[in-house]
Amino acid sequence: MLSKPKIISYSLGLILGLALAPMSVAESPEETAKPSNNFTRIEQPLPLKVGVTLGGLALIGCELWWFLFGKTKAKKAKADSGIQEIDITVDGGYEPDIILVEAGQALRVNFFRKDPSSCLETVIFPDFHKAVDLQLERTTSVEVTPEKPGKYIFHCGMNMFRGVVEVKGDRAEH
Amino acid sequence: MSGDRGRDRLPAAAEKSFVKFHYIAWTLQSGGDFILVLESRYKKVMETANLQLKGMGCAACAASIEGAIQGVRGVRECNVNFAMSQATVKYNPRETNLETIGQAVTEAGYSAFPLQEMDEVEEDVQKKAQQAEQKELTRKVIWGGTIGVVLVVGSLPAMTGLHLPFIPTWMHNAWVQLLLSIPVMVWCGKGFFVGAWKAGKRRTADMNTLVALGTGAAYLYSLFATFFPSLFLDRGLQPEVYYEPAVVIITLILLGRLLENRAKGQTSEAIRKLMGLQAKTARVIRDGESVEIPIQEVVVGDIVVVRPGEKIPVDGEVIAGTSQVDESMVTGEAIPVTKKPGDEAIGGTINKTGSFQLRAERVGKDTVLAQIVKLVREAQGSKAPIQQLADRITAWFVPAVMAIAITTFIIWFNVTGNFTLATIATVSVLIIACPCALGLATPTAIMVGTGKGAENGILIKGADSLELAHKIQAIVLDKTGTITEGKPSVTNYVTVKGTADSNEIKLLSLAAAVEQNSEHPLAAAIVQYARSQGVTGPLAEVGEFAAIPGMGVQGIVGDRLVQIGTQRWMDDLSIDTKILASTGEDWEAQAKTTAWIAVDKEIAGLVGIADALKPSSTEAVRALKRMKLEVVMLTGDNRQTAEAIGREVGITRIIAQVRPDQKAAEIKALQAEGKIVAMVGDGINDAPALAQADVGIAIGTGTDVAIAASDITLISGDLRSIVTAIQLSHATMKNIRQNLFFAYIYNVCGIPIAAGILYPFFGWLLNPVIAGAAMAFSSVSVVTNALRLRKFKPQIYV
Repeated sequence: MLSKPKIISYSLGLILGLALAPMSVAESPEETAKPSNNFTRIEQPLPLKVGVTLGGLALIGCELWWFLFGKTKAKKAKADSGIQEIDITVDGGYEPDIILVEAGQALRVNFFRKDPSSCLETVIFPDFHKAVDLQLERTTSVEVTPEKPGKYIFHCGMNMFRGVVEVKGDRAEH
Repeated sequence: MSGDRGRDRLPAAAEKSFVKFHYIAWTLQSGGDFILVLESRYKKVMETANLQLKGMGCAACAASIEGAIQGVRGVRECNVNFAMSQATVKYNPRETNLETIGQAVTEAGYSAFPLQEMDEVEEDVQKKAQQAEQKELTRKVIWGGTIGVVLVVGSLPAMTGLHLPFIPTWMHNAWVQLLLSIPVMVWCGKGFFVGAWKAGKRRTADMNTLVALGTGAAYLYSLFATFFPSLFLDRGLQPEVYYEPAVVIITLILLGRLLENRAKGQTSEAIRKLMGLQAKTARVIRDGESVEIPIQEVVVGDIVVVRPGEKIPVDGEVIAGTSQVDESMVTGEAIPVTKKPGDEAIGGTINKTGSFQLRAERVGKDTVLAQIVKLVREAQGSKAPIQQLADRITAWFVPAVMAIAITTFIIWFNVTGNFTLATIATVSVLIIACPCALGLATPTAIMVGTGKGAENGILIKGADSLELAHKIQAIVLDKTGTITEGKPSVTNYVTVKGTADSNEIKLLSLAAAVEQNSEHPLAAAIVQYARSQGVTGPLAEVGEFAAIPGMGVQGIVGDRLVQIGTQRWMDDLSIDTKILASTGEDWEAQAKTTAWIAVDKEIAGLVGIADALKPSSTEAVRALKRMKLEVVMLTGDNRQTAEAIGREVGITRIIAQVRPDQKAAEIKALQAEGKIVAMVGDGINDAPALAQADVGIAIGTGTDVAIAASDITLISGDLRSIVTAIQLSHATMKNIRQNLFFAYIYNVCGIPIAAGILYPFFGWLLNPVIAGAAMAFSSVSVVTNALRLRKFKPQIYV
C-alpha cells in the first residue's frame, strides 16, 4: 500500500507534470521572431511526446487503482450490553469505512465529524431509511438494527463518500 | 377541616410515596375520624422521563450519574443505561422537574437532555452552525469576487488583445496579479485543497478533488509563467498567467455553494414547519388550578385547557367545551372540524373559536405530530430505485473525470505540441465536471415531494413507494370505511310478529343484549339503534356467547337462544327465512346489509343496516378513472350491496363476499393480470392485502398513523387524497427525471466541450471561467428545480 506522502505525489502528479512541461517547450526547435498566440501548433520531439503519453497513462493507472480498486481496513463493532457500537471519524470520508457487525443486534454508529466540507454534513443509511445531519466537532449517533446478513451501504448526502456495514449471520444461525 | 390539617394526618407511607392531598378524597365520619380514599390515579402523580446523557466514558460514570439523579429530592427511581447513554427517571413533577434533574447531572460533570427536547437543542445548534457557515461563505464570496473583478479587469487587454488605456498597466502585471490572488487561493480556496487532500488520503475523490486539481493546475502554470517568463518568450509564446481564472472559479463555486445551501435549506421546509407546529407550553390543571408548564412535563391523564387561538399542545380526548379546530396542517383538510366532548383532538392543530378541556392521551414522541415528523424524516432518508444508476455513476465519476482530463492533456499535447492549450483544456475538464448535480438530483426532489405530501395529509413511507405510486394501473378500494363512512347505522327494522305488546322493543332488547358482546361495527349499530328506540337500563346477561366470523353471533338470554347473522348462516342453521325474504332482497338492492334475528331457531326479525357513502367518494373515483386507472371495489359484503354502492360511486369491477383473509389473494390475482396494483384500506383489517399490493395505501382515521403495513398513509379519510398522492408521485418523478436528465446531459455534453472537441471544427475552446460558472450553477439549478415542487397543487377536476 502507498504511504500518505506518496499519494500527494500521485494525486498532484498531473499538476507537476504539466508544470514541468514548459521546460520541454523551451527545447522545441520552433523559432519565431515575436511572441505568438498561445494556441499555435508547436512541434515537439517524439521522445517527449512518448514520455508525456506514457507518464499520463501511468498516472491514470495509478489514480484509478488508488481511488477505485484500493481497499481500506475493516473494523469490527464492539458488542456490549446487547448493543454493537462503533466510532467513525468523518474527515475526508469515513474512518473506518467498513464495519463488521453481527445480524439481529442493534448497532450504534457514533459519527464524529471533523470535516467542515458540506458534502459530509449528512449521512444516509438508505436501507434503514435514516438520514442524519452530522454537526461539526460533535458526535452524532445513528442506531439501526440489521436483521439480515448482507452489505448495507451508508453514504454522504451526494453519495460521494461511502462506507459499508457488513452484516454476518448471528451465532444462532451457525 | 382545612386541607393542611388533613395532610398532616396522612399516613407516613403515603408521604413517602409522594401521594398528594388533592389526589385523596376523604370523608368526615361521626366521632371526628375521617376516611382517606386513595385514588387509582396515584400512579399518574409520578412521571417518567427519558434523558439522553452525554459525557459518559465508562460504567462507573453511569453509577455516578445514577447517584446524582437519585440525590435530587422528588426522584423516586433512576436507571442509567450505559450502552444507550440514556437515563430513565421516575419523579414527582410537583417536587422537582427535568431542569433540576438536568442541573444535578451537569453538576456531576455530565450533561442530560430530555429526549424530545434534545431534538430541539440539536436543531438550534445546527441552525446556528449553518448560519455561521453561510456567513463565512458570503464573506469569502465577497472578497473573492472583489479580487476576481480587479484581476479580470487587469487581464482584459491581454484577453481581448485591445488597447484599453483606462486600465492602469500595473493591473496586468503578473506579480501584482499573483499577490492579489494569494489570499483567495489560501483563504477562500483552502476548503477545496484541504478537502481534496483528506479525501485523497481516504482513497476517495469528490468535487473538492476536481476543483483543487483544476485551479491548482492553472495556478501552478501561472507561477511558472511569472517566475520563468523567459522559458515562454524563448519559445515564441506569451508568458500569459491564469491567476484570474483560478480566483474566479473558486469564487464562482463558493457562490454556487452559497446558493445551493440556501436552496437546500428550503427543501426541508416542510419538516421544519411540522416541527414548528408543536406548542412549547401547555396549560394544565394542577392542584385545581390552571398552570402553564413546559410541554415536556405534560403527562398522560393531565387535563389540558385550550383557549381560542391557541395551539392544542398534545393529543387527547375532549372532555368539556366545544370548539372549531383547524386541522389542515396535519390532515390537509381545509375546513375546520367541530370538537365536542368525546372527540379526539390532535396536538399541533389550532383551536379557533371556543375554549375546551382535553385529557392528554399521547404526549412526547407518541403524538400524531411526532409520528408524522418521524415518518417524513424516514422517507427522506430512503432511496428511490431511479437513483440507482446515478449512484453507480457517482461512485466512479471523479476518478473517471481525472482520467479523461489526463487523456485530454495527452491528446492535445501530442496533436498540437502546445502546452498552454493542453493545460487550458485539462483545467476546463476538471472544473466543468459536476458530480454534485447527479448526487442531488433525486434526494432533493424526494425531500420536497415527501414534505409536500405531509402538508397535504399524505405520509409516504419511502422514496420507493413514491416512485411506484406513479406506475399504478389498478386501484383496489376497500368498501367499508374507505368508500363508505365505515360507521354503519340501522335504517330499517321489521319483526315477524309485528308491534303488538311492544314485541319489537322486546326483540330489539334481546338482540342488543347479544350484540353488545361483539366488537363488530354492525353489532355496535344494532346496540345504538336499540338505545335510540327506547331500550334503556342495563341489557340482559348473555350466556354461551359466540361470534362466528363472517356469519354472525349467538348467545343465550334467559332461556332463549338468540342468533343474529347473515342469511347464509340462517340457511346453514336450517332456519326458514322465507317470511321476510322479499323484504331482505329489497333492502339489499338498496346497498343495505341485512342481519337476521332468530330466536329459538325461528326467524323473528330483520334489520337493515346502511353505511353512508363518504361525500367525496364519487368525485374521487371519477378523478381516478380520468387518470386512466382501473378502479376495483373489494368487500366482504354481499354482491347485491356491493353492486349498489358500486353503481352509486361509479365502480363497475366489484369483488364481493371476500373474507378478510382472502383479500390478499384477490390482490395477487389482479397482479397476475400483469398490473401494478394499489390497495386502499383501513390499515388494520386490510393489513395483509395492503402488504401484498404494490402500493398499500392506508386510510387513517384522523389520528391513527401508526400503520406499518402501508406504503402511503392518508391522514384524513378523504378518498380524494389518493388522487393527490398519485398526482404528487407523478409530479415528483417528473421532477426527478428532469433533474437527472439535466445532470446527465450537462456532464455528457459539458466534458467533451471542455476537452476541446469543438476546437478542431470551430476553433472554439471553453474558457475555464465559463466551465467554473457552469459547474457552480449546475447543482444550484438542480436544487432550484426540485424546489418548484413546492408549488404542487392537487387537481381533482382534471
